[in-house]
Amino acid sequence: MPRSIAGLFYFLQRAPRAAHTACRGQTRASSVPVVSGGDAKRKPIEEVMGTAQPKIETITTVEDTNKGVISGVPEEHQQGRTARIFKPAREATQQGWNNTRGWRIELDNRGRWENALIGWASSGDPLSNVSMHMKFGTKEDAISFCQKNNWNFEVEEPKERSIKPKSYGSIYSWNKRFRVSTK
Amino acid sequence: AVMHRLGRSLVARGMQASRRGNASNAPAAAPEKIEVFIDGKKVLVDPGLTILQACALVGVDIPRFCYHDRLSIAGNCRMCLVEVEKSVKPVASCAMPVMKGMKVKTNSELTKKAREGVMEFLLVNHPLDCPICDQGGECDLQDQSVAFGSDRSRHQCGADGKRAVEDKNIGPLVKTVMTRCIQCTRCVRFANEVCGVPDFGTTGRGNEMQIGTYVEKLFATELSGNVIDLCPVGALTSKPYSFTARPWETRKTESVDVMDAVGSNIIVSHRTGDLLRVIPKMNDEVNEEWISDKTRFAIDGLKNQRLMQPMVKGEDGVLRTTNWEEALFTVASKLRQTPADEKAAVVGGMADTESMVALRDLFHRFNSELLLTEEEFPVGATDFRSNYTMPDGLAAVESCDALLLVGTNPRYEAPVLNARIRKSYLYSDVEVGVIGGKTDLTYDYAHLGSNTKALDDVTAGKGDFAQRFLSAKRPMIIVGAAALKGDKGAALLSKLQQLADKIRTSGKADKDVKVLNVLQRLASQTGALDLGYQPGTSAIRKRPVKFLYLLGADEGAVNRQQLAPDAFVVYQGHQGDAGASMADVVLPGAAYTEKDASYVNTEGRSQKGYLAVAPPGDARADWKIIRALSEVAGKALPYDDIKEIRGRLSEIAPHLVRFGDAEETSFESTAAAVSEKSSSPVDVDVTASQSTLADFYMTNAVTRASATMAEARKAALKEKDNEYTETPKKHAHA
Repeated sequence: MPRSIAGLFYFLQRAPRAAHTACRGQTRASSVPVVSGGDAKRKPIEEVMGTAQPKIETITTVEDTNKGVISGVPEEHQQGRTARIFKPAREATQQGWNNTRGWRIELDNRGRWENALIGWASSGDPLSNVSMHMKFGTKEDAISFCQKNNWNFEVEEPKERSIKPKSYGSIYSWNKRFRVSTK
Repeated sequence: AVMHRLGRSLVARGMQASRRGNASNAPAAAPEKIEVFIDGKKVLVDPGLTILQACALVGVDIPRFCYHDRLSIAGNCRMCLVEVEKSVKPVASCAMPVMKGMKVKTNSELTKKAREGVMEFLLVNHPLDCPICDQGGECDLQDQSVAFGSDRSRHQCGADGKRAVEDKNIGPLVKTVMTRCIQCTRCVRFANEVCGVPDFGTTGRGNEMQIGTYVEKLFATELSGNVIDLCPVGALTSKPYSFTARPWETRKTESVDVMDAVGSNIIVSHRTGDLLRVIPKMNDEVNEEWISDKTRFAIDGLKNQRLMQPMVKGEDGVLRTTNWEEALFTVASKLRQTPADEKAAVVGGMADTESMVALRDLFHRFNSELLLTEEEFPVGATDFRSNYTMPDGLAAVESCDALLLVGTNPRYEAPVLNARIRKSYLYSDVEVGVIGGKTDLTYDYAHLGSNTKALDDVTAGKGDFAQRFLSAKRPMIIVGAAALKGDKGAALLSKLQQLADKIRTSGKADKDVKVLNVLQRLASQTGALDLGYQPGTSAIRKRPVKFLYLLGADEGAVNRQQLAPDAFVVYQGHQGDAGASMADVVLPGAAYTEKDASYVNTEGRSQKGYLAVAPPGDARADWKIIRALSEVAGKALPYDDIKEIRGRLSEIAPHLVRFGDAEETSFESTAAAVSEKSSSPVDVDVTASQSTLADFYMTNAVTRASATMAEARKAALKEKDNEYTETPKKHAHA
């Protein structure tokens, strides 16, 4: 099989699955709904699907151009885009931490404008929504996705929060500086 | 209920006491981890953690309204109730410490029922105005009512209707809709604990309970905007941002603030290329979870007074808009004509590292070396990085046990740092001494004098504070960059270096403390000095400069009189301010929200900001303008994209591209040894220029162009006449 055709098949078969498993790794822990009442239990995925087949390492390098052609991404966006791989910080406006768990990809920001006809936001960038829809379980998944799409990337390590002991009783201390007379 | 709460607090106190007892018996041993079970999952946690924190460790978010990670525990909203095995009643997880073998169920029927009960009571008095509420879409109450709210209410409006509360006017920045308030008291605790402005409180009780200032007054603090984020409902929202956008319509870009030298991490919200708001991004090493009001509200200044077209001064001395080609050719020809030693460049406070390195390289290509910063600093001291950065780091104020502030008012120069100092002050025994103005810093301190002569007494160990400082384990000096201005700056810095060296070599302090820390005021300053810029503009006055390149220099440190009569001035920047008004050519640059750029904060931490919205009009990213100019001038700089220019940065100083990390400094003792010493005391008054809240708001070209900042300043000035305003004489009640 010529190399280019091999690449074509590789992309058709493997790429969607790779993305899928990455997403599943992320969602398994938190956002899959589980029946909370009664004694319903989730079965492990292996029990239902059988053990996963090891990946066949036959094709290691693929011509990049082929993937671009198939993905339908315009040519000018196949080269020279830079992706930032990061874990989003917690929203300052809300208290939930769930959205901080997955790794995200965000591409360099291109211009947006208000559509004169309907007033909606327009953009000439077909990849501007990448960060909104993809979460990766690990940094490596995100990196390999960027590599597959020919994007430059930079990884930003997340700032972890530290959880320090805190006590309710301490607010009643009478000899500490944090004592306040108002509530 | 009172008995119940009292009992609980006694339990908590008892627990604490027993913990303390254990600790005193074996001080060196690390506390043993406790085993608890969260939803059947075994977790080993430190003793003293609350159930809610233990849940956070395993990634279980407990719904909450009153609990906040960075505030004290109030325990009054009851939303965080969980079931604990063998406990008859549900337990408020935010206040209950973990106990050995505790089995917590965060998702059981009982838990759910308890939370549903709490939610029903909250919703009885909460208005149904989500469609017109600014919090909609990012509201904790909205989200949690989806999980725990009922689709109908047992509340009957017939008899007395829903509770309604009069709105309070607390200033031009924070809008209040008090009917939406659920009395979580987060804002009260924030004002008390973080801001040190105990103006908020609760009045009335039961159904009549209200949050407010009792008498109408301004929420007069430089951190006031943070209550907008804190508020779990829409009771406190942003006044300038009101009715502007919904969170799901906006795009968010993570970036870095340039209003001060802290480099607060921010998230810029924008929609259709329109900048909407700035909110903080959490980073425990830099700004924790807060940002100052200038960071948050000054962005409307980026829509006023903008330079959008290149401009060239005509024969009649009037600037006229033109195209890039003409502007660049005009500048390039002057650049080529002027002899090397008659050229100078001055960078202002908001310049990014990339544009500064491009400008530096451009000038070096023309054999010119007069690269200056607008902000002054002792010239000889910039050889050692420890002399102009904050090597201990911003977070070190939390672990220091004695802090000496020299010639700085961190409350207004770096509000987020000041909040950290206050935190340290509240929760540790840190002793603070101040040489400088006597102002309200939100913590008590020993005022050692406003003149630096007092420094010699500290070195000699005269006085209580000096004694404490010299024998401290982790002492820290923070000196404001403004104090080091002028002729005596070098001598003062030297004095401080000697003091720091004395402490480091005394053996009393820990080995890893550097002691001397400089708090810069401008976002660009540390980066400029890292790149070898010479601080201060005095060099311009020494020779007739005929070609002056201003990169965002707007503070008026240089004026026409100091230059040669036929001098040619180029201004590159984004705001039409002092710099542009004296220029012959104006090159419109991009503001910090409009370019991929990095900034080095006062710790020496290089941080990246990203392009959120495109620069307006014909404006371009600053380093690209300089790159284009270099090509027109015939000496093209060897970088074409941001990656290549960062490669150039790493050639000069690798730490400039190690984004997010603060580079450690070294050679402190050598720096002290080579500094110019003198035995006589340095006699300078180092009262900081910003001493009241009104001084805080308008300090740079962006804030001067901001209507919001002008309004805030006006309100702060007016507040001085408010007879109910009081400055706390003492911050600690103990």
